[in-house]
Amino acid sequence: MLKIDNLHVRVGGKEILKGLTLAVKAGEVHAIMGPNGAGKSTLGNVLAGREGYEVTQGSVVYKGKNLLELEPEQRAAAGVFLAFQYPVEIPGVNNTYFLRAALNAQRKARAEPELDSMQFLKSVREKLRVLHISDDLMNRAVNAGFSGGEKKRNEIFQMALLEPKLAILDETDSGLDIDALRMVADGVNAMRDPQRAFVVITHYQRLLDYIVPDFVHVMVDGRIVESGDKSLALKLEEHGYAWIAERKLAGAA
Amino acid sequence: MNAALDKEAWRYSERAWNALHAQEFVAADAIAELLESLLERFDWPETRAHRIVFVNGETAAAVPGIRLRNGERLHLVFASVPGAQPTRWSLDLPITVDAGSAEIIEQHVGIGGADTLGELASRVRVGAGARLQVTTLSDLPDSVSLYRRENISLDASGEYASTHALFGGRFQRFDLDVAMNGEQASYAARGMFAPRGRQHIDVHLKAVHAARDSRSEVSWRGVADQRGRGILHGAITVAAGADGADAQLQTKNLLLSPHAEIDAQPVLEIYADEVKAAHGATVGQLDERALFYLRSRGVPLAAARNLLIAGFCREAFAEVGDAVLRSRLEDVLAARLPQATEIPE
Repeated sequence: MLKIDNLHVRVGGKEILKGLTLAVKAGEVHAIMGPNGAGKSTLGNVLAGREGYEVTQGSVVYKGKNLLELEPEQRAAAGVFLAFQYPVEIPGVNNTYFLRAALNAQRKARAEPELDSMQFLKSVREKLRVLHISDDLMNRAVNAGFSGGEKKRNEIFQMALLEPKLAILDETDSGLDIDALRMVADGVNAMRDPQRAFVVITHYQRLLDYIVPDFVHVMVDGRIVESGDKSLALKLEEHGYAWIAERKLAGAA
Repeated sequence: MNAALDKEAWRYSERAWNALHAQEFVAADAIAELLESLLERFDWPETRAHRIVFVNGETAAAVPGIRLRNGERLHLVFASVPGAQPTRWSLDLPITVDAGSAEIIEQHVGIGGADTLGELASRVRVGAGARLQVTTLSDLPDSVSLYRRENISLDASGEYASTHALFGGRFQRFDLDVAMNGEQASYAARGMFAPRGRQHIDVHLKAVHAARDSRSEVSWRGVADQRGRGILHGAITVAAGADGADAQLQTKNLLLSPHAEIDAQPVLEIYADEVKAAHGATVGQLDERALFYLRSRGVPLAAARNLLIAGFCREAFAEVGDAVLRSRLEDVLAARLPQATEIPE
């Protein structure tokens, strides 16, 4: 589904990703862990199409297409979703209105029929119920005045409603209490599907207790230095990132 | 923001206005029959019984001074329609609220091709402890020019709370002069304008705190596109002895084209000692982070821009409690929204 090959990315003149290679198949959950500054969020932003990220080398192929050529909205319509680390507050824009515009724009781009407001609200209520989110969230402006936890819940709710094929969660767990963390994990687990893949970027192993990944990758200094199954996350938790750095040194010597 | 360099920029509108006045105009000879398309813009069932319609400055019956009682609601409509010749009208409306709480909805509409120059002066007096809530919506075709002057005097604990939306017109000027003459008088103005094309919208808000413990709060949003020009001159004076006054003035503005211009000029003059006063003005462009957020959810660029612009303007309507009125304002906003045609670099 997603093939990233030797990806080099510069941000503000500085090279952040230095030859990242990753392959994600439909149905898989990949966790990407790593210390601050490793380039984890850069990866999420590049995949979603944020401006200001200059790809100097390498390729990203999504469902057989060059993902890097697509506008952010085209990527969304093709099924790519990024749950933001810092969701943006947009005062004056109603959440319901925004999501209906987003969903229908995606459906239109895929040549699917648009949903009328009754169909849309039905779908909204269904997802809200499953995620145990109060519908008060829908009557407010997008993320405006939301607490940190509410913003992350809103990201997961958007993911549930938009039903992407490739969901990238950028440190969705950071700043969450245990209940909110569970809710995020339940949201992801409920959507696990042979047709859908997840890339879960996280700082801590904690989230992976609830979302059990098929693969764990450790990212250090712009590339993946170690890959394994879920036991790798446990080892990391025990030994810290320094352990990886030491092993790299030992391997190089 | 060029106004920072040119402090006299707001005066240019005086010249434009004088030039217009020099044109030949004649008075409207009759009240023309109103087109359905015009009628539906102001004919809301909720206000039908309390409505006065002026067509090119004239109305069916003479309107004496208006005195509003507690709970009364008045819908004033000023319509501009094409006539045989260009029309100039001028009206002077005295309005009084002695006691209790009243509401005025003031609406200016017009039909394309109406060549009118209107001048509306309202003198509003809000008595001790009385409250007047005002919503004005001016949505004009490019051929119409309008000058509104509203003079408001507030007695002790009198309150004037207002929301204003200005769209279109060849030339629009709106002066709101508020004198807080009584202790604890309070005045609030929220508003927005959205000049585009070659439209020129000029707003002068003046608040004078003449008594103790008076409060004023101004919050204005501007969006200019193409070669549109918006001016917001916000002056607050706190007179000597008006201790305990609280004056707030905030304006936020968006420029959607490199040729658009908004001059925001807050002016504070304070002659009293114990005063709380704050003002702030920003002029900027659309938030790139918000734009990316919307696009990453699948909203195409142009639609995402429009969502953000509308959301920015809609904040000006936050105090409009009446759902019907609010949705009317939002409908006009959606229809008149400046479409970003050129993306500023």
